[in-house]
Amino acid sequence: MESASIAAHGHVDDHHHGPPEAHQSARIDRTILGILLFILSEVMLFGAFFAAYFFLRVVADPASWPPEGIELPVLIAGINTCILVSSSFTIHYALEAIKHNNHRGLKLGLTTTWLLGATFLFIQINEYIHIGFTPRDGAFGSIFFSLTGLHGAHVFVGLLLLTFANIRAYRGHFGPEQKDHLGVEVPGIYWHFVDIMWIIVFLAVYII
Amino acid sequence: MAAAIRQPGWYRGAIGLVLGAAFGFCLVVGLRLLSGLDAFQTEQTGYPQVIVPLITAPFGFLFGFGAFDYWFRWAAGKPTIPEDHSGHGATKWQDYFKFNTDHKVIGTQYVVTTLFFFLIGGLLALLMRAELAQPGTQIVAANTFNGLFSTHAVVMIFLFIIPVFAGLANYVLPLMIGAPDMAFPRLNALSFWLLPIAGIIFLGSFLAPGGSFDAGWTGYAPLSTGAPLGQTFFNIGVQFAGASSIATALNFLVTIITMRAPGMNLWRMPLLVWANLSTSLLVVGATPFVAGAQFMVFFDRILGMNFFNFLEGGDVISYQHIFWFYSHPAVYIMMLPGFGIISEIISTHARKPVFGYRLMALALIGIVVLSYSVWAHHMFVAGMFSWLRVPIMITTMLIAVPTGIKVFSWLGTLFYGKIHTYSTAMLFALAFIITFTVGGISGVMLGMIPIDIHVSDTYFVVAHIHFVLFGGSVFTIFAGIYHWFPKMTGRMYDERLGRIHFWGTLVGTWMTFIPMHWIGMDGMPRRVADYASQYGDWNLLISVSAFVLGAVQLVFLYNMIVSWRFGPKAGPNPWRANSIEWQVSSPPPVFNFDEIPRVVGGPYEYGTPGARHAIMGGEGEGAEVPETKPSTVTVPS
Repeated sequence: MESASIAAHGHVDDHHHGPPEAHQSARIDRTILGILLFILSEVMLFGAFFAAYFFLRVVADPASWPPEGIELPVLIAGINTCILVSSSFTIHYALEAIKHNNHRGLKLGLTTTWLLGATFLFIQINEYIHIGFTPRDGAFGSIFFSLTGLHGAHVFVGLLLLTFANIRAYRGHFGPEQKDHLGVEVPGIYWHFVDIMWIIVFLAVYII
Repeated sequence: MAAAIRQPGWYRGAIGLVLGAAFGFCLVVGLRLLSGLDAFQTEQTGYPQVIVPLITAPFGFLFGFGAFDYWFRWAAGKPTIPEDHSGHGATKWQDYFKFNTDHKVIGTQYVVTTLFFFLIGGLLALLMRAELAQPGTQIVAANTFNGLFSTHAVVMIFLFIIPVFAGLANYVLPLMIGAPDMAFPRLNALSFWLLPIAGIIFLGSFLAPGGSFDAGWTGYAPLSTGAPLGQTFFNIGVQFAGASSIATALNFLVTIITMRAPGMNLWRMPLLVWANLSTSLLVVGATPFVAGAQFMVFFDRILGMNFFNFLEGGDVISYQHIFWFYSHPAVYIMMLPGFGIISEIISTHARKPVFGYRLMALALIGIVVLSYSVWAHHMFVAGMFSWLRVPIMITTMLIAVPTGIKVFSWLGTLFYGKIHTYSTAMLFALAFIITFTVGGISGVMLGMIPIDIHVSDTYFVVAHIHFVLFGGSVFTIFAGIYHWFPKMTGRMYDERLGRIHFWGTLVGTWMTFIPMHWIGMDGMPRRVADYASQYGDWNLLISVSAFVLGAVQLVFLYNMIVSWRFGPKAGPNPWRANSIEWQVSSPPPVFNFDEIPRVVGGPYEYGTPGARHAIMGGEGEGAEVPETKPSTVTVPS
């Protein structure tokens, strides 16, 4: 592209020297702040569905919750919860590993996390198939599949991000400096969010 | 040609669009045939063979258009060049039709696109006014009328007012805080391109069987869960528009927090920056709720879920709670950036520091906090919890306090100022204060339960919303466009035409919307195509005024288009303003600055001799530049 802009201080051609480096006015890295704010909006999206959950369960006040004849597989979901929670530790391990320039640990951590996440999703889909009711079955079916499905979609996105991180980890693209492993740290933050959100969904839907 | 198809751009975008639509269509039809169902499903809440392509086609277009190219390279582990600025800047008009990552280009794209939708929304309004000029139905049937007011509101809110502020801020905010660009330029470009997609989906609903969505912009369940296909277009369009505004807000927040020039602490940020900071906090926190509400309606319609189906244990009122939990903060999303614009303009053209600068900033934050606690005042007659009414009434009254602080601070700024009214921007700013105050006061009236019950769903509500959104937000938008037009185009607009536009708009606004208060008090219901003949005279006056108001906007369009091309050169700082965007050339250089400026004082130190807001790169090098102390307001005796 030719340069043809009107320059401020008489430079005819300022297209090639690039922009000046932005002044960093906060300690936090831009990408990290970005993902945190994104997670804030995600939390609010879950909030909308939890609000619906509150209305359907507390305000509409059905005779029984869950409705008669529906038995949720709490044990399987509980095991699944353990699987997902442990994946938070493995991704933390991966991040700590790359901070110490341990590429083997990074790859080990990321791969394990990916596998644990995929297992979680697999069990979840299996649970959907065998659960014995559908999204059309009353308000309970709606909110059960919406909350767990919304979370499942987030696990799926998280898995995609982890896939990208894995590709780069196996190609050796990450390094111990923070700017060199944002590609692990940012999906990691997202993964922790998915994990914590699951605990809340699990408690709301299966336990209380 | 083959090369043109491989390059990101319109060719590849068109191919992506077709492939995306085909993919969605085949997916639905294929799955249906595999499950032994009919290939097509034509219940009015169904049509999966239309709905799924409606979602996949825009993504196909964006892939083809190049919105995800960089991220795909990154995802595949290929080398990426973050410092590649090939998608940056505009040297010819075609560059405005590309996936451009320059915040200035994106800002212009936003403003032009949203003005286009403003025109469309205005035409929809005029169609309604033509119908309402006389009692009885003459021009459009009642159903079409429902579609008209619904699309009018949706286009104006989601495609004009909310994004035009994002556009103006996109242009000036990075310049104001001394940043070379937004924090995430590619995300910024993506948020822009989601917008016309949302617009096409909303307007495309007119082509759907059963007509466009007609359940109002609020889309209350269960009216919306059983409505014809157009309602699903609304559900999907809101997701695109919402994603666009969340991504932009996130971008603004990160930019403001991490990319300010050295020396620009929080109390040296121009109020426009403060305003966008608070707006973005609202968008990030509240917009997901409208997305959630529309998802639920979508699920009820398409998947047969029962969120709002009373017979199956659903809760009907919950829609309104979730919807208004976004949509009340949304009215501040539509107003706070305007507050910022007005502060800039009033201070510059009154040649005085903003009165109570810190309180102005804190009032914005106060509005953000309070606005999350007032949603249920839209529901006083909805049959919601009775215990919630009075607390909500109190918080609603309370929110008038920070708003009042702002109004009085603007008056304080004007007090004993050297008020220059040669700029149309200042005229709009001054008119805004009066018109918005009227709208604000009728808002306080509506917040009182007894009055609200009396005037619920009457033209009083229409009058209020248009006084705050047209007399408020749109006036600030005009003010902002006139104010930064010289900066964005490098040319001056015609002040004479600007004045014609201003006076026409001011008189048109008052003549159109003031009588609505009276007929509303008398009980004329809103959202109805026909009405009792006793309201005929007032409605005729309103319709005539509305057409005058509409016609005057053509002067504005003419002025903008012709001045952009032929206007006299504006020079870098025609308003002698202090903030950083006026210290660079008009239009600014591709990368904004050669060197990041240094901020040494507040942005509004007008009238203090020798006061500086910022030292630009290259000037006064090595010399000691004293920090400017904030001035105390002195009133000449």
